[in-house]
Amino acid sequence: MSIQVSPTLPDVESEIRSELGLSGSAQKRQACLSRLLELAIASPSPASWLQSLRDRATAQVQSQSFPSNRNEGWRFTDLSDLLGIEFAAAANSSVQLADLAAYVLPEAEHSRLVFVDGVYAPHLSALSHLPATLQVGNLAALAEPDELLSYLAQQSGADELFTALNTAGLSDAAVIVLPKQLVVDPPIHLLFVATGGDPRSAQADQRPTLTQPRCLVVAGVNSALTLIEDYVTLGSGVCLTNAVTEIWLAENVQVNHTRVQRDSLAAFHIGKTAVSQARSSRYIGNALSFGAALSRHHLEIYQTGEQTETTLNGLTMIAGTQVGDLHSAIALTQPYGTTRQLQKCIVGDRAHAIFNGKVLVPRAAQLTDAGQLNRTLLLSPKARVDTKPQLEIVADNVKCTHGATVGQLEADEVFYLQSRGIDAASARRLLVYAFAYEIIDQIAIASLKQTLCQFITSHTD
Amino acid sequence: MTASVTSLVNQPYKYGFVTDIESDTIPAGLSEDVIRLISAKKNEPDFMLEFRLKAYRQWLKMDEPTWAEVGYAKIDYQKIVYYSAPKQQKKLNSLDEVDPTLLETFEKLGIPLSEQKRLSNVAVDAIFDSVSVATTFREKLFEAGVIFCSISEAMREYPELIRKYLGSVVPVGDNFFAALNAAVFTDGSFVYIPKGVACPMELSTYFRINNGDSGQFERTLIVAEEGSSVSYLEGCTAPMFDTNQLHAAVVELVALDDADIKYSTVQNWYAGDANGKGGIYNFVTKRGLCQGVNSKISWTQVETGSAITWKYPSCVLVGDNSVGEFYSVALTNNMQQADTGTKMVHVGKNTRSTIISKGISAGKSENSYRGLVKIGPKADGARNYSQCDSMLIGDTAGANTFPYIQVQNNTARVEHEASTSKIGEDQLFFFRQRGISAEDAISMMISGFCKDVFSQLPMEFAVEADRLLALKLEGSVG
Repeated sequence: MSIQVSPTLPDVESEIRSELGLSGSAQKRQACLSRLLELAIASPSPASWLQSLRDRATAQVQSQSFPSNRNEGWRFTDLSDLLGIEFAAAANSSVQLADLAAYVLPEAEHSRLVFVDGVYAPHLSALSHLPATLQVGNLAALAEPDELLSYLAQQSGADELFTALNTAGLSDAAVIVLPKQLVVDPPIHLLFVATGGDPRSAQADQRPTLTQPRCLVVAGVNSALTLIEDYVTLGSGVCLTNAVTEIWLAENVQVNHTRVQRDSLAAFHIGKTAVSQARSSRYIGNALSFGAALSRHHLEIYQTGEQTETTLNGLTMIAGTQVGDLHSAIALTQPYGTTRQLQKCIVGDRAHAIFNGKVLVPRAAQLTDAGQLNRTLLLSPKARVDTKPQLEIVADNVKCTHGATVGQLEADEVFYLQSRGIDAASARRLLVYAFAYEIIDQIAIASLKQTLCQFITSHTD
Repeated sequence: MTASVTSLVNQPYKYGFVTDIESDTIPAGLSEDVIRLISAKKNEPDFMLEFRLKAYRQWLKMDEPTWAEVGYAKIDYQKIVYYSAPKQQKKLNSLDEVDPTLLETFEKLGIPLSEQKRLSNVAVDAIFDSVSVATTFREKLFEAGVIFCSISEAMREYPELIRKYLGSVVPVGDNFFAALNAAVFTDGSFVYIPKGVACPMELSTYFRINNGDSGQFERTLIVAEEGSSVSYLEGCTAPMFDTNQLHAAVVELVALDDADIKYSTVQNWYAGDANGKGGIYNFVTKRGLCQGVNSKISWTQVETGSAITWKYPSCVLVGDNSVGEFYSVALTNNMQQADTGTKMVHVGKNTRSTIISKGISAGKSENSYRGLVKIGPKADGARNYSQCDSMLIGDTAGANTFPYIQVQNNTARVEHEASTSKIGEDQLFFFRQRGISAEDAISMMISGFCKDVFSQLPMEFAVEADRLLALKLEGSVG
């Protein structure tokens, strides 16, 4: 809406103008949300039992409004670039395995699930070397969906807008169900490919696409799993990925989870990882975010039993005009929990990193030991960071600490390396690499570690 | 811990008496007419009335903030008495003419207004309900060139200074409570330190709310000219009432080149009873502007009273090399709620700030630290260090930290640390083993916990603050 008003008009009219402007953008946001919801609902619903979930989520979306920077949670993450875009559903795409060669991991050569634009691609996947008792595949193919009903879209926080939007359009999902006692040796690689603007896409008009990948992991008592969740885009067109992953850890389960987001720089990425941890379970989550013009990752940990261990390592490395946002929430509602979180951001050019790390320790969570550290490296004068480590504590017999640092590379350190005969540029590259390596080193898959190291090296010039 | 930890908090509030004094009170309610009446009663220059009306009109358009971690029943702003003054309107020539009941009240509060009693080298401006009743040591200060008087006097006698600086740091429409204050403020202190003068003594203002229905809206303005320095302390108490009273104050500090302002607060408003009935709503806006190069503003606060505290003493570091400091101890007990912290806004080059915040929560109270460190794009070489520690006493109190860090300059260095802990049983055991009682041990540990902040207070007040904390916590630990 544009209204021409001369700047000399008295107060009253400028007020009216600002009010109109406000409601104008509010309308725009609402229109964008309803378009996205329409698109989501239009996706095929494979089974009737899913429909009630979808309907509930649809109602949840309808009861909310599209976030603006007036919402505390979205104050620094501006979604207004999304508003003008007419998203469409992705058409069938003819992606071949050769197109994905760069992303295939040798460690997971026979334990790979590939989803193209949110739809399972059996010809790209390989599931030969996995134990017979392990249920792994896509949602539509599973024989007994009933038992999934108590897990699918049941995590706390499922009513959050973008999560509900994903559920409203839920038609396929990667599903991994571990029976009790099963220890899966090979890492399972979930590769979510978005084909926004890809020439191989059958889509004639190259419209921006919306894809909503989904993943559900249910790990039974005493089981163990290594999981890699990998988001990539083919082509450089505009696309919006709205991903949701739910992971349920039963008693004594160990999950080692690595999430890599390396979308194209034209992409928008909104993702949710919700983890429930039962008694004595151990969750190690490595979240790496490199791509997308704008990315937002909600990382939520819910404790349902005592004595859990949670390790969260995060690396956001952005440059150009990228915006990278991590909102983590750790709800420690039971006694004897331990969490360690280390979130690092490397921000170059005019990029903008955001970190909001919430740790909740209510009265019941006695003897909790929670540590959180956020370290940000600003590489250029225009780089920007907004960080808020947030502790909410009621239990008294706890040990909770958090810290945050923001700075640039230490001149002394660069000088030291120079004094050893390393030129300034290489010294800086080396220091940035070392800063990032602390996180990358935590990844259990050697080939992925190597790929990411190469990525870091090639991006620190 | 043994049961005695739980029995150490409930020391009665000893300042809870009401002084029976005839006062000049206007009916409750707020309108433009009330504002005109206040302005007329105070004999203000015209520009002040305009200032007030402008603020009021902005206030009408604003909404009460809801983002703080505090909960309270909606305030009816039409039920508050906006002006209440001890009835003694004729001009006072000396302290001997002050109503003896009033003097007695301040004696009882431990504030000697009589200049003969030079117990401490501190000049006091005493404010009772809405007006300043006495300012001590004025002559001596005047000799040094320092102006220290109530703000209403300053409006009449130094209108050009007031006009220049009032509202320059906290604009009339800054926030809901600041706008309300700008519209209806009745008194407060004014301090002006001329160029190159180091204020010869500590300045202090003592606030007392007496009327059960009145709100207290005072406004303090301190201007430190080039190369001057001043240390200022405020204290506050109120009687015990079942109703909640609103205290919405504004403090503005301006430091020019090389000036140094140290502002300390010991806040002990009535906090309500153990069930949260009554108590003061302390919604205060405090902000200092380091306008000149090499200027320094240091805030020290010891917050022990008030049912609700909503207060963020801030520094805007505009001058190059300017320094902002914030030292805070916030103690909450029973049903008290505190949402307090600071804002350090770095604008100039090589600006430095330090934040040390200590929160102690006992009973069923909520204690939040909310802080902002903002480094602007031009603040090359800015440096911030923040440390927020919380101590929890009992498992029904809450401690939250909301530190916002916004950095837009890569040469800046920002560090933030926070921790939450309780009084360790092994520490307690160590003390007991050495023959020190549990209560003494706890009070020593708390005083050690707060040491970084208390050491910033002027000496007499540091001792007082230490004692105040011990009293407040009596019965809560053991």
